[in-house]
Amino acid sequence: MFDAVARNFWFLMGGLGVTFQLSVFAVSGGILLGMLVGLARLSKRGWIYHPITAYVNFLRNIPLILVIFWFYFVMPILMGQAIDPFPSAVISFIVFEATYFGEIFRAGYQTISKDLINAAYSTGMTYWQTARYISIPIAFRRMLPSLITQSIVTFQDTSLAFVIGLQELVRRVSIVDNLEVRSIQLYGFAALVYLVVCLVGSRISRHFEEKGRKANIL
Amino acid sequence: MIEIKKLNKWFGDFHVLKDINETIERGKTVVICGPSGSGKSTLLRCINGLEPYQEGELIVDGTSLNDPKVNLYKLRQKIGMVFQRFELYPHMTAIQNITLAPTKVLKWSKKKAEAKAMELLERVGIPEKAHAYPANLSGGQQQRVAIARALAMEPDYMMFDEPTSALDPEMIKEVLDVMIDLAKGGMTMLCVTHEMGFAREVADEIIFMDEGRIVERGTYEEFFNNPKTERARAFLDQILE
Repeated sequence: MFDAVARNFWFLMGGLGVTFQLSVFAVSGGILLGMLVGLARLSKRGWIYHPITAYVNFLRNIPLILVIFWFYFVMPILMGQAIDPFPSAVISFIVFEATYFGEIFRAGYQTISKDLINAAYSTGMTYWQTARYISIPIAFRRMLPSLITQSIVTFQDTSLAFVIGLQELVRRVSIVDNLEVRSIQLYGFAALVYLVVCLVGSRISRHFEEKGRKANIL
Repeated sequence: MIEIKKLNKWFGDFHVLKDINETIERGKTVVICGPSGSGKSTLLRCINGLEPYQEGELIVDGTSLNDPKVNLYKLRQKIGMVFQRFELYPHMTAIQNITLAPTKVLKWSKKKAEAKAMELLERVGIPEKAHAYPANLSGGQQQRVAIARALAMEPDYMMFDEPTSALDPEMIKEVLDVMIDLAKGGMTMLCVTHEMGFAREVADEIIFMDEGRIVERGTYEEFFNNPKTERARAFLDQILE
């Protein structure tokens, strides 16, 4: 039943490897940048708030596939040389996902009481020390389930990078399909792989949610 | 010494602090009381630069907060503050709450900061809770950790913003005992509280605020036995009920 998959198994798994690599970069980069985007979205300084808000609103209102395309085709014009699909995809994903992670962090920061921040300031800590040791860790813990959910979405979204020729799982499935012509079987297999990974992810998310509730930090 | 000169503050149209004048000498304990919304907490927050003010001047040890170049982070290091709702960092143990600022702000070694933290936890009477998280401490214990956290920076001044009003009655005493001990040890303290027993024992001066103004000031005896204004009298009747 899975004969075409079996014949090309390692080629396809190589594609899954690329999918994972891209996901790891996209999620970790998106979270790191998102922490700062979330802070900027709460900034009282207009010159920080307005540009970042414009960036967030812009990217949240256009489809990801356009961002991937646009970046891949515009970068060579700006930089004067072609850029490989993988780094191009990584950068587009980080810039795109950071807007979503940023909004999650913003919600997380807003759950922190003003006096908790004042307590940190009153011991002489600076804005950045307070962000690093208080706001970010607390928001991170409180928002962990949402962050994991968004990471799962990001993992699924990486399949869109096939449009710029990146050989991730879906791209390799289509390559194999061109040779084997077993569309239902091959795309069915890809769906199964995504399903399993995402189900495991949401189990992890639920586990942390319960742990957080027990520890009284949610 | 903290000098407050003709301080005025507005929240939008709301005039919260009106012409506040006050001097707090080193080693003195000043108690601020008054009905809620009278500007007591706001006054404390202005003194360590957590809230801006629009008119007047605040001078801490000769440094004016009006100076645009004033380093608020440096200023806050010498003014400890304790909050009504404790505000312990929920993701850190008691000892981590206490050692954070000394290690990050004063760059103390972890060892030195922990030794100091243990000494302070002994002083507030809960050394056995060093490794407990705030969620596993009672209100009174949390507030004592919060006091230790403020003291760890070795401040010259301590400000308390209604430190016992979120506590169950049986826990109030354990917090007040720590505060009394501090005041008797010579700490300069500014306490917003309605605990008149505390005021009687340690206050050098009591300030009564109403609608953003200091309407009365004096020693405990003057204020308590012979309030000059009707508003202070009504307030005292209410809290003594």
